[in-house]
Amino acid sequence: MGSCTAIIGPNGAGKTTLLLALLGELSYQGHISFPGYGGRRPRIGYVPQRLSFDRGLPLTVCEFLALGFQIGPLWFGVSAALQKKAKETLAQVKAEHLAGRRLGALSGGELQRVLLALALQQQPELLVLDEPASGVDFQGEHVFCELLDALRLSQGFTQLMVSHDLPTVTHHATHVICLNHRVAAEGPPQQVLTPENLSAIFGLHMGLVNLQSMPMAQAGCTAPCCQPANENQ
Amino acid sequence: MSDLVWLYDFLAQVLPLSSMQARFMQQALVALLLLAPMTAAMGIVVVNFRMAFFAEAISHSAFTGVALGVLFAVSPGWTMPLFGLLVGLGITAVQRHSDLASDTVIGVFFSAMLAFGLAMVSRDRSLARDMQRFLYGDILTISEAEIWFLLLLFFLVFIFLASNYNRLLYAGINSTLARTHRVRVQILQYLFSGLLALLVMFSVRAIGVLLVTALLVVPAAGARNFSRSAGAMFWWAMAISTSSAVLGLLISAQDWARTATGATIILVACFWFVASLLFARLRWN
Repeated sequence: MGSCTAIIGPNGAGKTTLLLALLGELSYQGHISFPGYGGRRPRIGYVPQRLSFDRGLPLTVCEFLALGFQIGPLWFGVSAALQKKAKETLAQVKAEHLAGRRLGALSGGELQRVLLALALQQQPELLVLDEPASGVDFQGEHVFCELLDALRLSQGFTQLMVSHDLPTVTHHATHVICLNHRVAAEGPPQQVLTPENLSAIFGLHMGLVNLQSMPMAQAGCTAPCCQPANENQ
Repeated sequence: MSDLVWLYDFLAQVLPLSSMQARFMQQALVALLLLAPMTAAMGIVVVNFRMAFFAEAISHSAFTGVALGVLFAVSPGWTMPLFGLLVGLGITAVQRHSDLASDTVIGVFFSAMLAFGLAMVSRDRSLARDMQRFLYGDILTISEAEIWFLLLLFFLVFIFLASNYNRLLYAGINSTLARTHRVRVQILQYLFSGLLALLVMFSVRAIGVLLVTALLVVPAAGARNFSRSAGAMFWWAMAISTSSAVLGLLISAQDWARTATGATIILVACFWFVASLLFARLRWN
């Protein structure tokens, strides 16, 4: 509960496939168990990697957030209760100003927040994110991850994310799984993200590039949200 | 079975034009007032799901449906919608279970339908004479029984859409996301394809094989340009479709026009679309 697990690995390692299997989108052999939920599936919120959709579609952010909740057709607008709920959730991701905007007119970072708000509306016990950093600049990514950390601590969901981006992982994950068709290594970031492991998984090239940003015990995010994780180790 | 006389008389009073005093014009108007809202609402989903080509394939199977009716000595009134339904569900099933791109799948179905239809027509001279009716449609000869059937379809379509519109929209945006919200995308797609196939078959009767897709796509396309929200888009599509249908019917009956009704309706809708383009351009500036 409240942990943040990152799945890393080279292209084609099976990261997204793993997520899709978790979401029930793919048929698979074997078994996925959710210990700690009494045998039932936890409520899963999903933030997709890059929402490819028809950008010209007339649909406001508020309508988008109501789609999965309102039974009555949108012809007569969004119900007052759902409008309020949408505004509250948008406020949680610091995007309340987007409620009336058209979904297709949002920037990459704005869209990502709206997708996060959509996932949060389901009151997830497990929040699954596919490449939360893609399509956002470095600054935006940092802000987004801090936002996620704060939400995780306040709402207590478990976070599972696929990431290409090692700095994000080192700063925000409490647990790392290195995937390359099978689990190559797993554990706390400081133990897993060693130059040896990384060059074994990603090839020599990645190991060299990341030598400087390697997370030694003292390295890590200085944000208050990251402190408890560091103290545990 | 002439229980709708009151409705015809009422419409004749609302539209006190000389052309509207003929019973066949009143019947055509009733049929169009039922058909236009249906095609507008379903058309929005067609545009969102990018199913225009699908609708086109269904409409072109109309002729094969009739040919099958002739072949097995069954009334084409039954074989046409049934065959359309079958083709619609068939395409949906093959799309789901094959790796081919959806337009390729539809293309294959499309050619098979058309080839079979043409083969039948080339054998039977009497069928060839009917062909023109299917290509251009003939709303002016619609029967009262067909109007009752349209009324039934009207209720079916709007009950289905009223309870599933948001989910259809959601599935059209991103099916994985919709499934995490427990939207049963697969069942929805089959239901929608089936209803759409029935609707297309009835529209073929009204405006012809060549223009059915236009009736679905043009109002929704115009509505997209006029609106910013999904709610507004629905009402714009309704307004464009219904006004085009009524205006098209009235214009086609004027002495100076004397054009085919189906084609006139689509022309009015296309004027709406051009206006929507200008509107969108002005708004961006």
